[in-house]
Amino acid sequence: MLSLLVWNNISIIQTTHTDRLRDTATSMIQQIARTSGNYMVAVDYATLEAYLGNIIDYQELSYLVVLDRDEHAVIALGKFPTQPWPVLEAHPAQVRDGVFDVSDVITVAGQPMGRVLMGFSLSLMDEAIRKSRTRGISIAVGEIVLTVIVTVLIGLGLTRRLGILAAAAQEVGKGDYSIKIPVEAADEVGRTASAFNYMVTEVSNRTRQLEAAEAQSRTLLAENRNLVHTSLNVQEEERKYLARELHDELGQCITAIQADAESIRDLSRGGDTRIKTSASAILDVSSRIYEVVHSMMQRLRPGILDDLGLVEALKDAIAAWQERNPDTQCLFNVSGDLASLGERINITVYRIVQECLTNITKHAQAGNVTIALSRTTDRLLLDMKDDGQGMDVSVPRSGLGLIGMRERVESLGGEFSLDAREGEGLSIMISVPLVGEEAQA
Amino acid sequence: MNIPDDVCDKPSGICMNISQWYVAGIRSAYIALSFSLLLCFPVIATTGENRDCQESGPLVFGVLPFISAEQLVFRFTPLVDYLSDKLKVPVRIETAPDFVEFARRTHEETRYDILFTAPHFFTRASQKAGYRLIASVDSPEMWAVIVVPKQSEIQTLQELEGKRLATVPPLGLATLLARKTLFEAGIDPDVDLDMVITPTHDASLLSSYHGVTDASALMQPPFEAASKKVRDSMRVIARTESTPHIPISVAPWLEEACAAEIAALLVNMGSTPEGKAVLQHNRFTGYRPGDPSVYESLDDLLSR
Repeated sequence: MLSLLVWNNISIIQTTHTDRLRDTATSMIQQIARTSGNYMVAVDYATLEAYLGNIIDYQELSYLVVLDRDEHAVIALGKFPTQPWPVLEAHPAQVRDGVFDVSDVITVAGQPMGRVLMGFSLSLMDEAIRKSRTRGISIAVGEIVLTVIVTVLIGLGLTRRLGILAAAAQEVGKGDYSIKIPVEAADEVGRTASAFNYMVTEVSNRTRQLEAAEAQSRTLLAENRNLVHTSLNVQEEERKYLARELHDELGQCITAIQADAESIRDLSRGGDTRIKTSASAILDVSSRIYEVVHSMMQRLRPGILDDLGLVEALKDAIAAWQERNPDTQCLFNVSGDLASLGERINITVYRIVQECLTNITKHAQAGNVTIALSRTTDRLLLDMKDDGQGMDVSVPRSGLGLIGMRERVESLGGEFSLDAREGEGLSIMISVPLVGEEAQA
Repeated sequence: MNIPDDVCDKPSGICMNISQWYVAGIRSAYIALSFSLLLCFPVIATTGENRDCQESGPLVFGVLPFISAEQLVFRFTPLVDYLSDKLKVPVRIETAPDFVEFARRTHEETRYDILFTAPHFFTRASQKAGYRLIASVDSPEMWAVIVVPKQSEIQTLQELEGKRLATVPPLGLATLLARKTLFEAGIDPDVDLDMVITPTHDASLLSSYHGVTDASALMQPPFEAASKKVRDSMRVIARTESTPHIPISVAPWLEEACAAEIAALLVNMGSTPEGKAVLQHNRFTGYRPGDPSVYESLDDLLSR
């Protein structure tokens, strides 16, 4: 860009000089042409030569020739050329021989009286242009050097300060919000440093606030989970208690009623038939009550879970579900040692499978269900899939089934995930860590 | 009065002798020229095909510098263009820096082919260089006037004693006529008053108009041609004797036929619209055949 400016400057200098010479030549020759007419018509060449003799002293003027009406040279001053007269040029830029040749007609009262030829040497102009060009280039070179020095110095200063800024940014990235950058000047970098310091202060404050909020959230979540866990435990204990009471108290009573009813029926044999009928009715009702109570007991607390373990309890539950849903094929796969997983894990897995099967019955309209239960060294994995109508997980649900399952799993420190799309079935996977005796079993 | 050396290199006595000799010769030539002109005129005027002047090459029309060169070119360009057109040969205007140089060139150089000069200069040109009269401006005689500003107390020539009188160059007709008139009035212009030389008639008039001088001497035609404001501000206190009007002569080296052709063109200029326009431009009514005898009296004027 600077070279373009220098080139442009040189071009302007050259144009200015050549235009100045052209204007000077035009002005001089017009003046001479206007004032020489009277001398020409009076053929007063001596006076005209004396007059022009003063003009020829002009430094740039190389020659001056006055021609009469017959093109005869009547006055020739300076280093005048010989005939044929030089080709005229309209502008000094057209000159090839170093002399700018111009001409004008000498007139008096509009009548031509001859012609004046003038030659202007370009040497002085060229020398002036050369000096101007040299001066311009020198100034440009000096300016370039000065600019480079100043730029380097400014660059070094900026680089140093930007380096401090970059280092500070790295420290902030590492979490050190105590850092402060010195503001050395009120320039862009200084303003950036001020903005950086303000930003660090704000980030520090916001981070502290977020950390506090996060800690509070974690505490609340832990408390919530503990509460859920406690609630589920209480719920399970209560169910267990109710099942035991139903079994121990109500079951015994029903058994007693059934025994008494059978005795009455046996004793009344051959007697009044109405007694036998009543006794049989009592047996039927009590049997029905027992079935209901037994069913309630199973739902509240499947005794088989405590008696035969998780796998058998699941098989029993799945078989019962299969009986109620004969159009759906359910495949249950088990792998790994699942004995002695612990009361909490057993009831959690059992309840989740139980809830999933209930949901499949209610919503899935599935043709096939696959349940895979396995364990690794330290984790228990449950994978349940159906080929039902699936669901849109982005649509909020009003029920608590999924939430309850997730809470149960997370209360054990496990992970719960659900994958479902409308029309593509549903898949639920849980992973529960095995700790302590559960892992060693 | 002696004629200056610039005009005549000889002592005045010798000049007078030569002048007389020339006058006699010119008179004879004039008669022959007029006669031949009358014979040739019908042919020239009707056909315009005479090519004698063409053989003479470009012609130089020498005009006495009685006005500035620019005014002179302005006034005579239509005339030379007219002649160029009719003669089928270039005719160029030339003059000289002053009366003296013009007279010297007339007498000593073969420069002017056609001479348009003051009446008194023609007699010298005729005598010393053989110029032949071919025509004269067909106007009444000319005279010079001596004027003063209207509010001036000067009423008579005698009252010019001790005053400043502006006039044209010494050899100018106005100067010569004024000097003669002053002498006749008993005033020696070289002793009794201060003659202030100005370059032209206009300059002479304006010098007293502006109060630089007390009076001005100039020819009557330029006085009449001056602006009304100036003219009305001035008062004529004397007029000189009359002189014949401007003569047009040709150089002796010009062929007779060419001279006759030029004379015919001048004399018949008023017969064509083109020629009339040229005459109007010069403020002339026309040209008439020249008569050298009418200029003889001017010889006496130059002798003073």
